Amino acid sequence: MQLAYYPGCSLQQSSALYDVQSRRIFSELGADLNEIEDWNCCGATSAGKVDDFMAVAMPARNIGIAEQAGFAEMVIPCAACYSRTLVAQQRMADDPALQTTINAELGRPVNGTLKVSSILEALAALIAQGALKDRVVHKLTGLHPVCYYGCMMTRFPCTVPVPDDVENPQGMETVLKALGIRATDWNYKTACCGASAVVNDPDTAHNLMAKIMKDAVARGANCFVVTCPMCQMNLDVQQDEFCRRHGIEERLPVFFITEIIGAAMAIAPSELQTDRHFVDGTTLLKELEQHDEQSQ
Amino acid sequence: MSEPALDFNPGPTKSFLAEVIERSGQPLTACYQCRRCAAGCSVGDETDNLTPNILIRMVVLGDRDRALNNALVWKCVSCYTCGTRCPNDIQTARITETLKKMGKAEHVEPLEPQIADFHDAFVKSGLRWGRVNEMEFMGAYEMKFALRKIREKDYGAIIDELKNQGRLGMEMTRRKRMHFGFLMAKGRNEIKALQRKSKQRAR
Repeated sequence: MQLAYYPGCSLQQSSALYDVQSRRIFSELGADLNEIEDWNCCGATSAGKVDDFMAVAMPARNIGIAEQAGFAEMVIPCAACYSRTLVAQQRMADDPALQTTINAELGRPVNGTLKVSSILEALAALIAQGALKDRVVHKLTGLHPVCYYGCMMTRFPCTVPVPDDVENPQGMETVLKALGIRATDWNYKTACCGASAVVNDPDTAHNLMAKIMKDAVARGANCFVVTCPMCQMNLDVQQDEFCRRHGIEERLPVFFITEIIGAAMAIAPSELQTDRHFVDGTTLLKELEQHDEQSQ
Repeated sequence: MSEPALDFNPGPTKSFLAEVIERSGQPLTACYQCRRCAAGCSVGDETDNLTPNILIRMVVLGDRDRALNNALVWKCVSCYTCGTRCPNDIQTARITETLKKMGKAEHVEPLEPQIADFHDAFVKSGLRWGRVNEMEFMGAYEMKFALRKIREKDYGAIIDELKNQGRLGMEMTRRKRMHFGFLMAKGRNEIKALQRKSKQRAR
């Protein structure tokens, strides 16, 4: 199966591990991710605060590139890139004059046929086709993840065809269930981590993340599972700091969904660069694997 | 004689409201103050009780100066919870985003200048190179931060920021989360052409 793939800037830099994992996991599940040629920044959440026209125009160029290369579907693992691209596509569908204006400057214009998929939609489709059959090696018994979606996977600035429930999304739970893992239910799955506020307004971001962390701990979770590189980075990199400030003793690794799939398929954490986390996650995965082997 | 609670000036009030509706695309006059937005606001603890419904009322009543520059406009993290829950489909985060831009166009000094600087630095990096370079835009942001603190004679804040960011940078490097190459898209000329078009449209 051939899918267009948009990594985005974050997956080429601080969250390069998510790029490595996405390519590997999709290829293991029988789908090829084809990075689209010469893609540009989607504008992320900042463009909408600075320039509304560019917030549509920047993702539009990427949509045009994928369409003109003949792809029917493009997978975008980064939650912000996914949201911005989906919203740009909807804005152009709602306003054909805007699409014409943008297309006039594009070498590869948009025609509006591309399906823009989040990583969860694409994974769910592969799993529904049986891609995980006989591939689960480790049951990871004892993994108690809370699925953390954040903002960008389900809430959008305009009406788009949302593939999951807005208040209680189930995309990650569905993928985990296919691996035989039961996610822990909790209250903060769609709360906001503060995103870039961690740099420009740290107190606000730390307050938000402390609430998320406290609920996860109270529910007995032993890790977070996420799909957004910004959420992963904030909860992972800042965890010591916001826990110290808010009197939280526990520390929880923050896994990308791709790392959990990889661990269940017995791919070594080092191959998925799980050893690049701030809060160590490899020890937990190793313990669970050993526990699985002993109980067999 | 007591001061009037509100100076109502219908002409400018209507034109301010019309501009916010036009630019944000949000039907502000549909708000009936049910406060579902207020109940769900992620930054509700940070905005001195200035909830999304109050911001909408400020705009409707033409309280221009306060509406353009307040804690909610700047603390809003665009999580879109308010708009998702609004029974009248008003996405207040689009209104805060719009008020940020209107304030900038009118050269209002932002209440939280570092937040404005951050988004500017991020978008500039993306537009200049076609892709955002984390080190470059963070460098530009930290430079603006330092210059502002020098003007405020708050040298301690610069030292704290340097310490924090330096430590973070080292930890990121140690864990191979720092990228030292440079990202660029060949098609950035197309991006620049679109940017020129955007400026023409704004005129």
